[in-house]
Amino acid sequence: MASIDERRAGFKQYKEDVKRRGKPFFPYAMFHDTVMSLVVVCVIIGLACVWYFTSSSDPNACKSDWGSCTLGPRYAEPADPGTTNFVPRPDWYFYFLFYLLRIFKWPDTVILGTVGIPTILLIILLVIPFVDTRRERRLYRRPVAIIAAVLVVVSMGVLTYKGATAKEALASEVVQAVPTWAQRQGFADNKDAVAGATVFASSGCTACHTYLGTGSSNLGAPDLSAIGKGGQGPAFFSQYVTDPSKFGNNVMPKFAALGDVKLHQLGEFLSASKGPK
Amino acid sequence: MAVAPTRPKKSPGRQKLEAAVNYPLDWLEERSGLIGGLKYFLFRKVPGDTNWFHTLGSATLTAFLVQAVTGVILAMYYKPDPNSAYQSINHITNDLTLGWLVRGMHKWGASVFIILLFFHMARVFLFGAYKYPRELNWIIGVFLLVFGMLEGFTGYLLPWDQTAYWATVVGINLNGTAPILGPFLADFLRSGAEIGPDTLARFYSLHMLIIPGAIFALIGLHLYLVVRLGVTSPPWSREAAGGLSAGADYEPERDGNGRAGLTQQRARGTR
Amino acid sequence: MMEPQHGDRPHLPGPSLYPIAFAAGVACILVGLIVSPLIIAPIGAGIAVFFGYLWARDATKEYRRTPAPIEPEGAGTDLVTAPPPPPEAAMAEPEPGERFPRSRFLEASTLGLGAVIGGLVTIPVIGFMVVPPFKGQGYPTVDLGPLENFPEGKWLITTFAEHPDQGLVSHRTVFVRNNGLLNNEPSFTIIWNRCVHLGCPVQPNGPVQPDQKKVVTVSKIQQISLTPTLPAGGFGCPCHGGQYDPEGNRTAGPPVRALNRYNYSIVNGRLVLGTPYSVSHVDGTGKDARIHAYKLAGPGMHVDGWEQIFYPVQPPH
Repeated sequence: MASIDERRAGFKQYKEDVKRRGKPFFPYAMFHDTVMSLVVVCVIIGLACVWYFTSSSDPNACKSDWGSCTLGPRYAEPADPGTTNFVPRPDWYFYFLFYLLRIFKWPDTVILGTVGIPTILLIILLVIPFVDTRRERRLYRRPVAIIAAVLVVVSMGVLTYKGATAKEALASEVVQAVPTWAQRQGFADNKDAVAGATVFASSGCTACHTYLGTGSSNLGAPDLSAIGKGGQGPAFFSQYVTDPSKFGNNVMPKFAALGDVKLHQLGEFLSASKGPK
Repeated sequence: MAVAPTRPKKSPGRQKLEAAVNYPLDWLEERSGLIGGLKYFLFRKVPGDTNWFHTLGSATLTAFLVQAVTGVILAMYYKPDPNSAYQSINHITNDLTLGWLVRGMHKWGASVFIILLFFHMARVFLFGAYKYPRELNWIIGVFLLVFGMLEGFTGYLLPWDQTAYWATVVGINLNGTAPILGPFLADFLRSGAEIGPDTLARFYSLHMLIIPGAIFALIGLHLYLVVRLGVTSPPWSREAAGGLSAGADYEPERDGNGRAGLTQQRARGTR
Repeated sequence: MMEPQHGDRPHLPGPSLYPIAFAAGVACILVGLIVSPLIIAPIGAGIAVFFGYLWARDATKEYRRTPAPIEPEGAGTDLVTAPPPPPEAAMAEPEPGERFPRSRFLEASTLGLGAVIGGLVTIPVIGFMVVPPFKGQGYPTVDLGPLENFPEGKWLITTFAEHPDQGLVSHRTVFVRNNGLLNNEPSFTIIWNRCVHLGCPVQPNGPVQPDQKKVVTVSKIQQISLTPTLPAGGFGCPCHGGQYDPEGNRTAGPPVRALNRYNYSIVNGRLVLGTPYSVSHVDGTGKDARIHAYKLAGPGMHVDGWEQIFYPVQPPH
């Protein structure tokens, strides 16, 4: 660690060097600044144009057609505090914090994800100049700084990406995938199985299970795309879903309240799910 | 101003022109000193090896100025009341001339501003430009980062659509989970126990007045320190100002009492 | 070290007690904030301020020595050979017999008046910013319509306006189920759809029948919308994966307690919504449920377990 005298000496040397060999800010450095600022302004305008011309004034138009709305819709539906079918998300630069909240999914640790870790990171940021008092600025002589920077960039990048792709399956959206499922799994002609697929899509099953690429596996439940391959038959699945604890599964809720008809349809659907052809 | 000692003689016409231009500038300088200040800022010496990485700071400032200007213009048409906010945004985006462009620039300028903030912070960190005597500048920069992200958070609510509303619900409740004072902070931000009509007005005031005021003040301080303390050379530069190519093997010459003090650097060329 | 101007009988406690009294005042403030914010806390504040002032005055006594006198520059003084002037002092030495020199008085009163002006401007402004969010934060009763609209055993997604004059921003949604009769009184399970992790809108894990939605007009400004649903798998939150059972107990994910519930009353055969409250967990189901109720807490705040010490006081609801 350099003493304060050494650091003062270094700064004095810096000032003398600049006085002797420096160049005037204008135009040498300011030219670069101006070019970069022009790039920034052009990027902002370009993004605004792409956003406007690939979206429409109807907030729902973006959901159906994947080619349009490259940069998202102009606005969503008006705010409705009483909604039951909306998936909230923050702005993209908060995705890393958002995903942190999904990582800490045990109630006792919630406060770590909400205020604990962000506060600690902020404090670390603030005290960096007081922890690192070496004069050394060459990168190959600062291994801790390099490793820390790489770790931070990689983790924030990964967290942001995972936050962006974290999908919660809204029933109204998953239901639209049912015909595709029927086609890919080959049960389109089995009326009960198709009805069962609709029950599956609208009962929140995809909040814990994944199925043919839809749904979330955040809570550790298995993928069900090929669950019927074992040949247990519809009755087995109906009973399982009615009361999973009878089969040793104490985590999954009991869906007995769906009623016999729907449970039978679910059983047909799961039994027909033998994996995509 | 070039360092060249000799210049061709100027023609009388040119001399008259220069005198005419200089007269109001001298008038202003004599009465305020501002022109001298501006000249000092523009023509001060910076290390000759500054490169494109050093432009990230001013790029961030440009993005912020874009936000400020577009934001002020948007404020002429935006209505900060829950019953008319959404409709006013609709109106701006779809009906008003070039409203879509101004709103789009503001919306995407926010993302660009945040990205450039992080790039600038990374550049300063990797160049070691937070070290003595620039520690205070780094701290001001961290506060600017926090305020910048808060500005994004408060602005996100203003369109008052579903994304805006629910992202704000979660964000405020996040603050609410802080121990002891959290619930009070959340109620203070929301202006009540639940998000209501006063919440939008409060966020608007935060977004338009309080946070930008703080950001402008901090940017002023930040720039003052940059001018006063100077810009660092890139750490890989051979002729780095400050001579820290010889940094790690810097051995201060000590006097009889072992004190280093302000000493001469060894001649360059020795590693 | 007694105060000489008060004569032989000192009526202030001895100086060594000032810090103790100050600490007692601070402790009184803290206790008062919890027990009685309107009476005990200000008393504690008064004690703390009074003894704090005495303590500070006592501690700085030796630093407030009289300053050196200013040497005026004489008309014929030779500046080259004159001795360097003594350090300039801000204030002149007090005349003999004068205890409060005028300049010291002016300094103190300038700072004091400045502080008063600052207070006069800041306190109302800060008060205006900080106090209104905490006053009058109640939950009004809401008439949800006649009992016939709530068939027994069926879940209904019920949306209403809490403050109809505020418009859409005060819309709230609850999941209502009529549990049948308990002691000849209708029993209802009324669960608020705000997730208790961070406040996202919770969805039923089961089919929803939006085509069977009914809108009931209960008054000129209030309309209740009722949508049947069958949350067989309970409720799930789309934000961070919280899951609840049909009674609102947390079964998976980050929620820190069970979903909030509403009090209700039956008035003239109509279901009237009361105030909400928080629930740590529910034993049993339906009308036999034993609800462990707590004062309403915000999302993410534990009401039981060791982490409840983080949230000792809730703002007024």
